[in-house]
Amino acid sequence: MKVSKGDIFERVFVNEPEVDLQIEQQAGSRVKIVVVNFASGTNRITIEQLGEGCETEIYALAYLHNDEAVTTETHVKHAVGGGTSNQLVKFVLDDHSRGRFIGDLKIVKDAQQTEAHQTNRNLLLSEEAEMRTQPQLEIYADDVKATHGASTGQLDESALFYMQQRGIDKQKARQLLVGAFMKDVLNTISDETLREQLLNTIDGVVE
Amino acid sequence: MKELLRIENLHASIGGKEILKGVNLVINEGEVHAIMGPNGAGKSTLSAVLTGNPAYEVTAGEVWLKGENLLEMEPEVRARAGVFLSFQYPVEIPGVSMTNFMRTALNEKRAYEGKEPLSAKEFLGLMREKKKLLELPDKLNNRSVNEGFSGGEKKKNEIFQMAMLEPCLAILDETDSGLDIDALRIVAEGVNRLKTPQNASIVITHYQRLLDYIVPDFVHVLADGKIVKTGDKTLALELEEKGYEGLQG
Repeated sequence: MKVSKGDIFERVFVNEPEVDLQIEQQAGSRVKIVVVNFASGTNRITIEQLGEGCETEIYALAYLHNDEAVTTETHVKHAVGGGTSNQLVKFVLDDHSRGRFIGDLKIVKDAQQTEAHQTNRNLLLSEEAEMRTQPQLEIYADDVKATHGASTGQLDESALFYMQQRGIDKQKARQLLVGAFMKDVLNTISDETLREQLLNTIDGVVE
Repeated sequence: MKELLRIENLHASIGGKEILKGVNLVINEGEVHAIMGPNGAGKSTLSAVLTGNPAYEVTAGEVWLKGENLLEMEPEVRARAGVFLSFQYPVEIPGVSMTNFMRTALNEKRAYEGKEPLSAKEFLGLMREKKKLLELPDKLNNRSVNEGFSGGEKKKNEIFQMAMLEPCLAILDETDSGLDIDALRIVAEGVNRLKTPQNASIVITHYQRLLDYIVPDFVHVLADGKIVKTGDKTLALELEEKGYEGLQG
């Protein structure tokens, strides 16, 4: 699909088993995609900036249990300069669940003055959970600002103990920390009703 | 005088290394005990063991809080029973607001005591009142726990939480470290105003300075995992003058 010059396109996908989006952006258009998975699914988001001054935002959150699996693929191409792209992808993996992120970011030679950020943060709640992260950055322009970061870790034991020391039981403390980790993705949703609803669900989802 | 805490022959280790080698201490209601000692003597280990930090292993001994076996309680149960630790290094918890954190903690304690949870209005009123005690700003409520707080703010925030939770036993672990003189005065005044005939505190410190503000009834010297000397507040002055080596010699 095409997003015309100066248009704004925003979509939120919650618990879709398959998301497959191909978007071409024309000059000055703005695209924001938010994908939330609380069960298995595959997401492929392909976005190409074909005009100057486009804005692209991709936010993805998966929170998985048992043997659920989510693969999120993003392909962002800056074919013309002066645009921005921002990606934040988070996975919270419990039990035997598996997460995979493929983040493909390309800035072509003439796409000068591009600003692109890609961040992937993952939280493993079980020793059996597995996360694979495959960033693929191809930057051919020399006057750009591009950042990339990926990290996978466990809940902060010192924060858990700190909360327990204030009388908060361990499960509730875990719930607060996991909720805090997920919140910044959910907070990007513009629709207030949906946002509040999802923020409330994460309190219930965490065991 | 009513006994609050009894520590008998406490041994504890971390990573197989024995740090506490037989600590004995009795604390009664209304008392302030200072624990001083050189680095590595086991001061912070004692506070970690009393609060149930899972990194430490108790290898021998017993601890009783108001006649109950403290070592058998989970860390959160110890907290609800009234044991509070002002951390030497308060932990930052991004994404968890002070309000949410404090309200959860306070209501868990109230539930333990068989009390109803506070309403949002009552809770916020209490926050406001206790923040004044520590001269903390109003904007604190929406900030994440300790995130981006200065060293002084973190220590004030510890005492603020103590004011909210009203523990029967407060352990202040090096609360003076990293504080300038104004922050030290505010923190110490906060602690002093929270003192009642029913609660007690253990003040762990390296220096005499804090004890000018929080005056102890007893001063204990912890060295190599044991309490080697006990005296009144003049012992702290003596230590300041002669050092720990002077004392042992």
